[in-house]
This record gives sequence, C-alpha cells and structure tokens, in this order.
Amino acid sequence: MTPGLLPMPLVDYLALSAVMFFIGVTGVIVRRNPLVMLMSIELMFNAANLLFVAYARAWLNDAGHIFAFLVITVAAAEAAIALAIVVIAFRASKNVDVDEASALRG
Amino acid sequence: MMLLLALLVPLAGAIACWALGPWLRNLAGWLATAAVGISFVATLLLWGAATQPGGVHLALFSWMSGFDFGLTLDPLSLLWALIITGVGFLIHLYSIGYMHGDRAFARFFAYMNFFIFAMMLLVLSDNWVGLLVGWGLVGLASYFLIGFWFERRSAVAAARKAFILNVIGDVGIMFAIFLIVANVHSIRFADTFAASATFGAPLLYAICAGLFIGAAAKSAQVPLHTWLPDAMEGPTPVSALIHAATMVTAGVYLVARCAPLWSHSPRAQMLVGTIGALTAIVGAILGTAQWDIKRILAYSTMSQIGYMIMGVGVGAYAGGVAHFFTHAFFKAQLFLASGLIIHALHNEQDVRKMGGLRARTPLAFWAILVGVLAICGIPGFSGFFSKDQIIQGVLENGHPWMYGVGLLTAGITAYYMFRLFFITFLGEYRGNVDPAQLGMAPEAVGAEVAHEPASTGSGEAHAPAWVMNLPVALLIVPSVLAGWLLFSTDGASSPWSRFFAAQFPTAAQASAAAVPEWATALIALGVVLAGIGVAVARYATRSAQANAVARLRDESLRMPKLLVNAFYVDTLIDGVFVRGARLLGSLFGRILDPHVIDGAVRGVAASAVGFGVLVRALQSGLVRAYALVIVLGVGCFLAYYVFGIPR
Amino acid sequence: MLVLVLILLPLIAGALLFLLPRDDVAMSKSVGAVAAAAVLVLAVAERGESWAWRWFSHPFIAEIHFGATYLSHWLVVLLALCTLCAVLASNVPRTRNMIAALLLLEGTMAGLFLARDLLVFALFWDAMLLPVFFVLIGWAEHPATAWRYFTYNFAGGLTLLLAVAAFGALYGSTDVIGNPAYHAIASAWAPWMLAGFAFAFLVKTPVWPFHTWMPQTYEETPAPMVAVVSAVQSKAGLYGFIAIAFALFPSYFRQEAPILIVLAVISMLYGALVALVQADAKRVVAYSSLSHLGLIVLAIASQNPLALSGALVYIVAHGLFSAALFLVLGYVEEREETRSLARLGGLGWANPRLTGVFCITALAALGLPGLAGFVGELIILIGVYQAGLVWAAILALVAVVLASAYMLRLLQGATNGAEVPDLPVRRDLTLLEGLAVAPLLAALLYFGVYPHALLVLMR
Repeated sequence: MTPGLLPMPLVDYLALSAVMFFIGVTGVIVRRNPLVMLMSIELMFNAANLLFVAYARAWLNDAGHIFAFLVITVAAAEAAIALAIVVIAFRASKNVDVDEASALRG
Repeated sequence: MMLLLALLVPLAGAIACWALGPWLRNLAGWLATAAVGISFVATLLLWGAATQPGGVHLALFSWMSGFDFGLTLDPLSLLWALIITGVGFLIHLYSIGYMHGDRAFARFFAYMNFFIFAMMLLVLSDNWVGLLVGWGLVGLASYFLIGFWFERRSAVAAARKAFILNVIGDVGIMFAIFLIVANVHSIRFADTFAASATFGAPLLYAICAGLFIGAAAKSAQVPLHTWLPDAMEGPTPVSALIHAATMVTAGVYLVARCAPLWSHSPRAQMLVGTIGALTAIVGAILGTAQWDIKRILAYSTMSQIGYMIMGVGVGAYAGGVAHFFTHAFFKAQLFLASGLIIHALHNEQDVRKMGGLRARTPLAFWAILVGVLAICGIPGFSGFFSKDQIIQGVLENGHPWMYGVGLLTAGITAYYMFRLFFITFLGEYRGNVDPAQLGMAPEAVGAEVAHEPASTGSGEAHAPAWVMNLPVALLIVPSVLAGWLLFSTDGASSPWSRFFAAQFPTAAQASAAAVPEWATALIALGVVLAGIGVAVARYATRSAQANAVARLRDESLRMPKLLVNAFYVDTLIDGVFVRGARLLGSLFGRILDPHVIDGAVRGVAASAVGFGVLVRALQSGLVRAYALVIVLGVGCFLAYYVFGIPR
Repeated sequence: MLVLVLILLPLIAGALLFLLPRDDVAMSKSVGAVAAAAVLVLAVAERGESWAWRWFSHPFIAEIHFGATYLSHWLVVLLALCTLCAVLASNVPRTRNMIAALLLLEGTMAGLFLARDLLVFALFWDAMLLPVFFVLIGWAEHPATAWRYFTYNFAGGLTLLLAVAAFGALYGSTDVIGNPAYHAIASAWAPWMLAGFAFAFLVKTPVWPFHTWMPQTYEETPAPMVAVVSAVQSKAGLYGFIAIAFALFPSYFRQEAPILIVLAVISMLYGALVALVQADAKRVVAYSSLSHLGLIVLAIASQNPLALSGALVYIVAHGLFSAALFLVLGYVEEREETRSLARLGGLGWANPRLTGVFCITALAALGLPGLAGFVGELIILIGVYQAGLVWAAILALVAVVLASAYMLRLLQGATNGAEVPDLPVRRDLTLLEGLAVAPLLAALLYFGVYPHALLVLMR
C-alpha cells in the first residue's frame, strides 16, 4: 500500500536509503583518501535526508522537510570546513592519506 | 596536715633547687638538707597517732568513683618514712661535702629531694595508683641520679637500663591494678584487702605475680637485677640512699604491705620466697668476684634484699622488715665510708689499688669494720638479730631448703665482706703499683681514671669536712644497736614485735620449728666464722700480706669467666630482648614498611597507571578505526533492539 | 553564634594575614598570636551552643549545623592551645605564610570538630588537608611528600564523601552527629558505609597498615605545622570513630570491632619497634605517634566506658605532648642544624633549659606517672582489661616498656653524652620559645595529677 502522498511503497525508499548509507559507511572505513571519505559522508547525509523526506510525505508532517534542509545546510558547512582542513593538512604533509595523520594517538 | 607537710616539703625543696639553682649555689645543699630534716621531724611528730589502731589517714581527692586518693601512715609506712627521711637527711648532709664543687651541685640536690618526695609518696599512699605513681617517680629520680654525670657514656647507658628494667616492674604493677580494679572497683588498699577473701586462687596468684614483677624490678631480684651493679655509675651518696637504703627495698615494702594477699596464696609465697633465696645466693656468689668497691657493695645489697624478699615472701614479715631496718643503717654506712675512701684516693674505686688505708682514712676503717661485722651477723651487731630472724622465720614457715640457702649465703657474705675489708685496709698501699701487675684489664684502667669527675682542683675538697664525717660517725650507732630492738628474752615480746603487732596477719600460725632459735643462731655463727676464716687465710695471713700484689694478680686472671660475666644474664637479656627488638624494628622499618606496605600502596597507584597504559592502545589516532568502532557500536544497538537481551 | 566565630575568626585572620607586609615577622606573629589566643578564650568559654541553617532539603536534608559535644569541646580547646603555641614558636623562613596556614588549619579543623552534619564534616575533612598541603609544597624538601600526603588523605576523603552521600540518600538526613533523635540506620548498605567512614579515619589517624604517608610527612613538615598536625589533625580520625562510626552504626561497629582491635594492637607494637631504630629524631616521634594512637583506637574498639573516658584523657594528653615534642625538636634542629640522632648529643650543658623542657616532654610521652599520658594509659588499659581483652592489654603493656626505650634513646641521644665539638653552640631557650611550650607542659602536669575535668564517663 502507498500511504500519504508517496508514489511508491515506503519500504522502497527505506531500502534505497539503507543501501546508500552502507555504501557511505563502507567508503569511510575502507578508503584512505580524505576527499573520497568526505564524499562518502555526504552519501550518508543524503541517505538520512531521503528518509526524512520520505517519512514527511508518508506521514504528512513538514518537520521532516525542515530537517532535511537543516541537514543540507550543516553538510555544506561541514564540507567547507573539512575541505579547508584537508587543504591545510595536504600543505603540511604533502600527503592526503588519513592513516598517516595519527597525531592524536594516545 | 603534718602528713602533707612531710610529703610536700621535699618536693618544694626540689623545685626550689631546680628552678633557682644558678642563684642558690652552695646554699642549695643546705636548703635541700633542711627540707628533708623538716620532713623527718614532721614524720616523727606523727609517731603517736600512727601507732594507734588504724593509723593516720588523710583523704586527698578523687579522679572519679573508685579512684580515690589519700595518704595513710601506719606502723609499716611510719618505719619506712622514718628511714627515708632520717637516713636521707644524713646522706644529704654528707653530699654537701661529697658533691662540693660539682658544676651541677644544685641540680643534684633537686634530684635528691625529688627522690625523697617520690619515695614518701610511695610509702604513704593508701591506694595502688598512688603507689604506682611513687613507684614510677622513684625510678625517674634513680634514672636522673645514675645518669647524673651525663657526659659519661657508661653512666647514660646505666641510667637507661635502670629505667627500662624498672618500667617492666611498673608494668607488672599496672597489670595487677587491672585485675584489682576489674574485681574490686576500687584502688584503695583497704578495699582490696577486704575483698581479697573472695578472690579465687588463680586470680590471687595473678595479682601477686604482677605485683611481684614490680617488686623484683625495683628490688633487683633475679632476673631483673642487672641494673643495680651498673647503677653504681651514680655518685656514691646516691648509691647509699637510693641503691642501698631506701628505693631498692620498695619491693620489700610492697610485699609486706600486701601481706593479706600473699598470706592467702601459698603459690605466690613459694614464688617470692624462691626468687628471694635465689637472689640472695646469686648476689653473694657474684659479690666474691668483684674488684670495684661499690660493685661489691651493690651485689651485697642485692643479696641482702634477697634475704628480705625471701622473708616477707614466705610470711616472716617482721623478720624481713627488720632486716630492711638494720640494713638501711649499715649499708648506708658502708657506702658512705667507701665514699670517704674514694674521695681520699682521688676517685679510685678498684680495691686492688687500695690497701693499707687504715692510717689514711681511720674513720672509714672503723665505719667499714662495724658495717662488715653488722652485715655478717656477728652477735651483738644489728645484722645478727634481723638475719637470724629471717632464717628462723623461713624454717618456721616450713621451707627447710630456703633455710639452708640462707645459712650458706651468710657464710659467703662473711667471706666477701671480709675480703673487701682486708684488701682495702691491710698490707701496703698499692696505688702506685702498675695496674698490669695487679691483673687489671687495660681498658678498665682508662675508665677508672675518668671515674667520678674531680670535684674541684683545690686540695681542701679532698679533706672530708665534718659534713662528711658526721653522718658516717652517727650511722655507726644504729648499725650496732638497732638490732637490740628485736631482742627479747621470751622470744615474742620484743619492742619490734609489739610495734608491728597489729600490722601483719598472725605469723604465729607457724609450726614449732624443728630447730630452736638459739641453735639456728649458733649454726649461723659457725658458718659465718668459717667464711671469715677463708677470707683470713686468703688475704690476712702474713704470707698473703707479703705477696699481696702477686696474689691479687693471680686471682684477677684466674677469676672464672662465668662470675666475671655475672652468669651471662646481661648478655642473655641483651642478646634476646634488646637485639631482638632492634632486629624486629629494623625489619619492620627498613623492609616491611617501605617495601611491603608502602609497596602495596604504590601498587594501587601503579595499577591505575597500568590501566591507563592498557587503555591507551585503543586511542590509535586512526579516523577509520574510530569509524569502525562507531559502526560496531551502532551494530550492537541495532542488534539489541532487534533481538533483545538474551535471557 | 559563638561556634561560628570559633570557625570564622581564624579563617578570616589567616586570610587577612596575607595583607600584611611579607617580611614583618613580629607583626604577623603578634596578629596571629592575638587571633589564636582569642580563639582559645572563646573555645574555653564555649558552652555547647549550636547554630544551624538549612542548606537543602532535597534529595535529603542537610543543615549547616555547628555545635560542640563534650568530646569536640575538648578537641577544639586542644586545637586552639596547640595553634597558639605553634604560632608563638614559629621561627621558619616566610613566617607570615606559615602563621597564616596555621590559622587556616585551625579554622578548618574547628569546623570539622564542631560540625553536626555529616556533609559539613566531609567538606571540612577535605578542607583541612589544604593548609598542610600548601605548607608541604612551600617548605618540604621533596614536593612529592605534599602530593603523597594529599592523595592518600584525599582518597580517604573520597570514601568518606561517598559514605556520607549514601547515608543521606538512605536515611534522609545528614544532620545526625550528636543528634539525640537519631535512630540506628538499618540498611544492607550500612556495612559499606561504615567501611567508607572507617577507611577515611584509619588513614587519617593513622592506623597500621595505612600509616606510610605519615613518617615522611611528619619528617618534612616544619615544626610548628607538624606540631598541630600530629597533636590535633590525627585526632580527627579518632573523633570520627567515636562520633560517627561508633555512634551511627553501633551494631555493625560492634561486629567489626575485632578487626579494629587487631589493627590497633599491631599499630602499637609495630610503631614502637620501628621507633626504636629510626635515625631521624622526627621519625622516632612519628612512629611513636603510630604506637600511641593505636592505644586510643584500642580503647575505642573495646567500647568499654572506662576505656572511652581514658581515651579522652589520652587524646588530650597525646595532643599536648606530641605538640610539645615536635616544637622542642624544632628548637633542637634550629640550634644544631641536624635531626640525626647519630650526630646530636651533649645539649645538656650548653642548653640546660631546653634540655629540661625536652626531658619533661619525653617523660610525658613515655607515660611517666604523674603526667597526663600515664592517666590515660592506665585508665584505658583498665577499661580494655575489663572489656575482656586480656591479651590486648598485656601486649599494650609491652608497648609501654618499648615506649620508654625509644623515648629515652631520643632524649639521651640529643641531650646526654659529651658535647659534640662540630655542632654549633647556640643560646639556650629564649623567653618566647619557653612560653610557647610552657602551657603544654603545665597542662600535662595538671591533668596528670587531677584529670577530673576530662574523666567523665562516656557512652
């Protein structure tokens, strides 16, 4: 059944979101290039966004839309800062491998 | 009031001499002597009241219920108080001459007066705690006076030893007080004695044993006697007053005072009598092996107190107390007279370096002769009466072996006292003979030279002034006559037994002795004469006189090691207890404390650090590792919500 | 209000001292002495008034409540007397700061003894560590000593605080010290609370085997401060045992008393034996304190009324003679520039007054009859014996004998023997130095003869 204003069943959105999220998680864990990791993080954000929007439509509640906009804003800010950090780290070490940056080791 | 006066005047004298010493100078001696004199007169004035039934009693104050303090004066404490202040007065007078010019003259008299106060407190108290306070304070006074010349290492060590051994005695009395207070709920003698009939035999024995530890330590009984010979490090008047006439007889006083307790405990009587007899004979045997004139007298004191303790221990109270009475005179006289010699010979104490002193110190000669005759128990002199009464009393109370020991000791006593007398006064003066020829150990020579620090440089100090001669001369009278108070034609009605009629439990329970009194006297006289005979043969014959130096050398070198080392009691105590305590202390202090206990504490601190080191490995600094952990964590949460907790 | 003044006066005076010029020793000494004397007068005059103010009532009732019980009255008097003497005897570098620290310590400890609320007690417990800690930081040879003192005692403070929190949560109020309305708490957690309290008290007293912070602290703290610490701060633990552990958990305390008795007896003998071989004069006294305090712990653990009243006498007596001993050792160290018993000796001729004072003090410490220590010792042991602890009493007597051995070793080592040629010869006790110990000795003598004021049978 298709609740609310959704053209497809809700579970399809959920499945797509889960797949996107796990692709993102895997990307963060296995890749060593910070740019790719950032993109993977964006992917996870978008998986969450997709869920927000899907449920907002399904339950006829606008809060989900608002949250999605908030997440997009935060993601943009995060991306800006993270890219700046990456650039600085690259300048400092001529290297973009995150495993080399372990100054926080206890 | 008079009683308080007798007690507190010496204390006031002590405080005055101590606080005002630098300003009083030589006046301190006279002040202190006067204080003791006042105390004596005050005690004497109480004679009449004290000999009434019940005596004099003065309640003072109370700590709390059951802890009531007071003073009492009955015939027994009257006798002690008179000896303490009377003989004490003479010895104070003597000290003015003897200590003349010492740089701590006033301090000496402060200590002496303090001792008189403490001793009076001991004998006047009507309760256990007051007695214990006096007991501890006389020990303190003795400590101060033995260590009076405190720049001398040996004096300091002797003082410490005396104090610690006496504290062992104090602790024994404390233990008895625990038992008494737990059972009687009062510290007064009267209440204790009244309740003593209800005590069981083990309790009574425990109380008596505790008290006797105190008596044994104070009165130098085996095996707590080792401090007394060392105590001769003190000035000679101190030896006369504290370590001969008064303080060391406190044990006799305690046992006599507690006669109601001892009389009900045959086991305790046996214990005390045995220790007393042992001490008497051990002291006498060791007395034969000494060369220092004061140490000979010290061992004879120990032996004589052994007699007294044996007497009061087995129930011959009047005899034991009588021996205290006569002994106080003749032993004080012996010490003071030997002080005259020591003074005249520039602090020489070794009898081997004396000899031929009759002409140089005639008063000392006569005084020591009378003292020796008295201590040996030659008929007519005071020691004869009192010693015989003890020996006979022991037999009457059913201890024949103690009777034998008593007789044997009398013989040995006669030998070593005459040995002292002959070596000192007969023959040629040996002061100029090389010490090595006399068989003196080289290190001993050095010690002798530095003995009593020279009083003054001026010659007049070495000529005994009348203050020194008068007390010695005065003491000769009671040394001869005091014993006659014990004499009676019918055996029971002597002035002495009438004086103590109400004091002691009926000693008349004694069975008729197997040996009558006159026979005991004769046997004793025979043994004593035999002892004197040996001494005469060894030291007084013409040939012995002629070869005195060689003979003394032989005797010194051949002296059995066992006797020289006083049966190794000192070595044993030192090896087991002193070293043992130090060893344990070092073990605890150097190993257990810093390494084991503190090690455990540091271990707790170190384990916190170790835990940190372990956990640190998780902080790899790798972003991807953190991400993985986060994912795993999320996985766990999901699993929890999906599957729940396995139950 | 008077009790509040007792706490605030020294605290404020101590803080104000920092406003005085740093180098003006005479000024800061007189201000400190006046403040301490005023506290002493007030402490004696104090007659058990109390002052309370509701702090919070949720989740449990806590009151800022001060007031003296019989025991704390005497402890505060002792504290005030010792502080006054220590202020007078202060002769260390940076005297002003030392006197300020002494007054701050006095204020915090007065707060501790007068607190009627457990939470207030716990707060002052930690607060009283701070003045000592700062003195150690400033004066000790090794800063590690300060951290060790603080960490060890603060660990005790932590368990104390946990126990107080648990108590408040379970009982509903912490206003229970000396409170007649208190009814014994019955809870499965009671043994744990008791353990928390007991750990703090055992460390603070200290009792074997929690004593290892003490010798080092006593050794390195300057004389005036260590006099107060050893005389009064060590009594905080004993006070806690009587007023808190025993009063709040009577049945559990009774159940666990055998452990305490064993620890107390070990403390007595262990401290005495170790004191016998120490080379440093202050360490001898430190270990002797371990031994003496063990006796008081034994008295408390025996729960015999006679022993407890003896404990009060001995608490006061120990305070007096240990304060005097440390002050005297301070004088000796000032003159001879060493504390080593192997080097000291021969003070008797050069400093007769100092020797006399030293002598009386050492004799009081070894329990000489006629001085207050003896009274406490005797009555405690009579009580312990009455409580049926025969062996504990006998072993305590062994400790008494050992006490005379180590105290005489200390006394004779410093004062007797020939004068040591390479030690400096300094003048004898000055009037001020004499005045600083005179009240302590006078009190020892007075209570030794007539301890009636202290001998009230305790619960």
